[in-house]
Order: sequence, then C-alpha cells, then structure tokens
Amino acid sequence: MDEKPKMNKQRGGGGSGPKIAVDLIDERPRKHHMLPVWFFIGLILLTYGIIIFWTGIYEISHPPATVLANLHAPIWWGGLLALIGALYILMYRPRRH
Amino acid sequence: MTLGFGLLHLSLAWLLAPHSSRVTTLSPHAVDFAIIAIYFAMVIGIGVYLKKYTKSGKDFFLAGREMTAWVAGLSFVSANLGALELMGWAGSAYQYGILAAHWYWMGAIPAMLFLAIVMMPFYYISKTHSVPGYLQLRYGQATSGLSAVCFAVMTLLMSGVDMFAMALVMKVMLGWNLNFSIWVSSITVGVYVTLGGLFSAIFNEVVQFFLIWFGALLIPILGLVEAGGWSGLVARIHQNFPQQDFTHLWRGLGHFTDNPMGIHWTGIVFGLGMTLSFGYWTTDFLVIQRVIAAKDIRAAKMAPVIGSFFKMAVPFIVILPGLLALSLLPYHLVPQSAVGSAPGLHSYNEVLPLMLARYCGPGLLGLGVTALIAGFMSGMAGNVSAFSTVWTYDLYRAFIRKGAPDSHYLSMGRWCTMTGVVLSIGAAYLVMQFASIMDYVQALFSFFIAPLFGTVLLGMLWKRITGWGAFWGLLAGTVSSVSMFTLVKLNPRTLALVALSTHAKAMAENMYRALWSWVLCVVVTVAVSYVTQPQPVESLQGLVYGQTELPSEGHLPLWQRPIFWAGVALLVFLFLQWVFW
Repeated sequence: MDEKPKMNKQRGGGGSGPKIAVDLIDERPRKHHMLPVWFFIGLILLTYGIIIFWTGIYEISHPPATVLANLHAPIWWGGLLALIGALYILMYRPRRH
Repeated sequence: MTLGFGLLHLSLAWLLAPHSSRVTTLSPHAVDFAIIAIYFAMVIGIGVYLKKYTKSGKDFFLAGREMTAWVAGLSFVSANLGALELMGWAGSAYQYGILAAHWYWMGAIPAMLFLAIVMMPFYYISKTHSVPGYLQLRYGQATSGLSAVCFAVMTLLMSGVDMFAMALVMKVMLGWNLNFSIWVSSITVGVYVTLGGLFSAIFNEVVQFFLIWFGALLIPILGLVEAGGWSGLVARIHQNFPQQDFTHLWRGLGHFTDNPMGIHWTGIVFGLGMTLSFGYWTTDFLVIQRVIAAKDIRAAKMAPVIGSFFKMAVPFIVILPGLLALSLLPYHLVPQSAVGSAPGLHSYNEVLPLMLARYCGPGLLGLGVTALIAGFMSGMAGNVSAFSTVWTYDLYRAFIRKGAPDSHYLSMGRWCTMTGVVLSIGAAYLVMQFASIMDYVQALFSFFIAPLFGTVLLGMLWKRITGWGAFWGLLAGTVSSVSMFTLVKLNPRTLALVALSTHAKAMAENMYRALWSWVLCVVVTVAVSYVTQPQPVESLQGLVYGQTELPSEGHLPLWQRPIFWAGVALLVFLFLQWVFW
C-alpha cells in the first residue's frame, strides 16, 4: 500500500493551512552522477549521422532509385544528425567533479 | 494504443491478409542492418549502464522520482507513440484526410493539459506508485483491486497484440521471420527493463522519441518539397479527388453523412475529446507512470504540458504523409477488401512504407525502419514496466505478501518484468492462433478506461464520494460498456441507440459508447455515495480537492509556471483548429 501523504512540512510553497510534504521545485543535488539521457541521444545521433552522411557521399556516384535523389538528403540529413549528436555529447559529456 | 481502437484492427486486418506478393516490401542494404543493430546495442547498453543505479523499489518502479520535466514529458509522449499507431494513422489520413488529426489534437491536448493542471497534483502529492495505488488510498482495496486486475490483464494482452502486430510489420515490410522478430525485440525490451527498471524504460523512451522523429521527419520534408509546399499539396489533392474534402477538420462534421468517417461533431467533442481521451491520458497508468516519476511537483505538472506541444506536432510525421500520398502518388490506394480485385493495387495502410520507399535510400531506410522498431519497443517497455509496478505494489503487496522488505519487492519487480515479457509473448502466439481475439482485447481496454476516468475524477474533486460508490460506479460503467458492445455485435440495428444514428461507423460507436459508460459510472457513483457512509475528512487529506493544500506558484516568474505554458499550449491548439477549420 502506498504511504499516506504527510501534511507537516513544506518546501517552496506558500499558504497558511496544513503543510504538505512534496517539493514545488526540488533543487537538491542528486546523490549520484548518472550520465544524462541527452548524452546517450548524442552518441546514437552522432553515430547514425556519420553513417548516413558517408552513405550520402557514396550515393553521389551511385544514386539510389528514389524520388528527389538529386537533393542528396542523406548528406544534409546525416550531417544534421551528426551535428546535433556532437553538440549533445559536448554539452552532456561526463566531467570530473 | 487505446485511442487507436478500431484503427489498429484496420492495420492488423491488412497485415493478416494473404498479400505478401503485392505489398510494398522494402529492400534494406547492409548499412540499414548496421543501423538497426546499433540501435539494439544502444538500448541494451543503456539498461546495463543503469543497473548500478537501480538499487531500491523507488529506483526500479519510480525511476528514483528524479526525472526532469523534459525527460518525463518526452517519455510520456513516447510511451504512446507505437509503430502501429504511426502506420495506422498515416493510413487513416489517406482514408479520412485531416480528420484523423482529431485523435492527436482534440483527442489528446485538452486531456493532457487537464491532467497537468488539475489531476497531477493529487497523483503526485498522494505519493502513490500507480493509478490503482491512488484508488487504494482514496477508496480502499475493492476499487483498487478491480482496477489493478483489469489493468494488469489488459496490459499484457495489449502488449502481446502489439508484439504480434510489430512482427507482422517486419515480416510484411522486410521479409523477417515472425518468431525471430517476436523473440529478439521482446527479449531486448525484457533485458533492459529488468536491468534498469523504470529508469531504463524512460531513458530508452526518450532515445526512441528522437529516433522516431529523425526517422520519420524526412518524409514530410521531402514530400512538401515535391508537392510545392502546403498550398501545392492542397491543390493537388483537390485535383486528384475533386468531390471530397480532405483538408478541413470541422467543416464536414455537421452530419454523420457529410464526412468519410461517419461521425458527428458531438462524437468528436464529447465522446473523443471529453471522455475517451480524458480516460486514456489521465488514468491509463502506462502514461501516468512516466509523470509520477518526476522529481518535484512542478516537473510533474510541466511534463504533460511539454508532452502536449510534441503531441500537437506528431501529425506532421503521421497525418501529413497520408495527405502527401493523396497528393503525390500517381495511383489511388484502396480499402483492404478491394486489394485483390485487380493486380498492382495497394491498400491505405501501406502509406508509410510506400512513402518511405519513395524517398529513402540506403541508410535513411534503416533509420526509418529503426523508427518503427523504436516505436514498438517504447510501447512495449511502457506496458511491461507498468504491469510490473501494478502487479508488485497493487496486487502482490496488497493481497499476497504485505510488509516484506523493499529488496523483496525489488526482486519481485525484476522477476515480474521478465514474466510479463514471457506472458506477452504467450499472448502474441495466442493472437497468432486466434486473430479475432484482437478485436476483443482492444475493445476490453476501451470498456474500462472511460468509466475509470469518472471514478478517479470524482474521487479527486468531491470528498462526498465513498469507496462503495466508486466501486459500484466503476463496475456499472464497465459492464454497461461491455453490454453496449455486445448488443451492437448481436443486433447491428441497435447502433442507432448507442451512436444516435444508423449512419454511424465503428469509430463513432466507440466514442458514444465511452460517453454513455462514463455518464452511467458518474450517476451510479454519486447515487451510491449518497446512500453510504461518508469517509472521514481526515482520511482524505492530500487526496481530494479542498482537503489538499497545493504548493503556491505565486513566487515563480511567469515563464516557470505550468499554468502559463498550459495556456500557451491551449492557444496553439485553438490556433490549429482555426487554421484547419
């Protein structure tokens, strides 16, 4: 069974009635240093971006039988993925504390 | 997905039909397989990495309650973005035009914002682990147990249906072996959820969210380039289908016969917008669990608001490809029943594979297929993690073994996750043997969700509602929904009673059935509550409006307040209705 909500303390909220035991905004530091999910997103986007970009380069000489192949979507889409991935990795990479 | 009820059936009917020779089979290259393999390695890797952070029941079942608003919000939307939903709604957009977008806008946004602003504080402040957990606190074990059993059974069955359907998609589109798809994808989900619990499910759902978008986004971009922008697209559709209106949301809803969906605006507004979608988005634990895991109450309120912006954008990758197919394909797609009547015909449900094959060569094709696999896995991980929590906390701990140490429940959660996967696989094979079960599984889920919304909402807003009122109301609403469904199956003429018109089609019937079952639930709940003993006020603190002091947001700057962003989302929603009126 779930714990009954306690009504005896307050963080970050106003009011004069019974107090509640939840945080409006919790800014306490985390007890651990888990890599943020954005780092993993960066990893997979960068990997995919590089693969798709190079596939696009190859397709310049071997164009696929798709509509609008002349736009070379894999080159700019792969490049965009790689760029976003690299940015995420840089911003959320593991750092020493 | 619950709201796709009726539609999933459409996709499955297509998948199950013996049409492998004429369907759009994609031709992946080595680079596409490499992209798919990297995806599997990544999701397993995330599970392995997160295992060391999953040390308690709170970590496993609630992701430590430390998700930020963005992570919880993206996960909230991702758990709902299944592969069949992507394919099914793209097909529906071809069939019904932009009317299909109602399921993403009217059928989601008001409910998500209501959840954020009105209901989320009660879920969060009550510190419940689940929706049945809230019902246990508010009403006691009878209502909670009924809700938990229904949810657990339905979740496993739905998971099996989704798994089977996904394997069929892979077989039809890529020629993959059915058993290989079922076992590899479900064991992968089982491994990463067992290792990292809800942490892992949420992390992977956010990754999957990005992959779904980047995998599917290129189709509308290139499609709009080819069509000459939105105006070019509309002009081409009018040219290709001069007698039909595919580009207006509301104009054709004045009468059942004026639109291809056979639905009236009251069905969309009251059945879909105010009952079914509220039932799904505010009480389906699969999505609520992602928000309960937020780190504080502001994040819990912001998560559905953030999710609502992305939900409003989903038609760009789902509905627009259907409209682009109406505009650009040099041939007309046909209903599944007409596919065999002449060679070379394609059904509505092939829209997404057709458009994928149209624009995506090697590499991009792998990314598109990965988007579909990611959609399936995020949905399944949602089912499995929610099942594990409800079984462990709301059934096992409540009825079988109370008071065990946390480590015991953590261990039970891990075993339960793998068991849930195995049972889902069993359900998938059951569905494979008896395909007609699928209709009933989806219908059963929809039977329960609308009345549950009545039960939860009344409980949160009115202290006079009693445990017995809730129990009998929920039971009456669910039984009435089953009865209406059965009645129409046995005697189709009774459709005029349920859906107010003999012209109503399956989707309209669903909307009205949900509406009536909700009304009955509310009436019975209130009536029984008035003849039973009120609950002591002190037992309702933190659970009911008026007995719960909500933290004030008055000291926050405007841009940090959830209500402000909910208002912005509502304006965007209204703007979209106006633009596409």
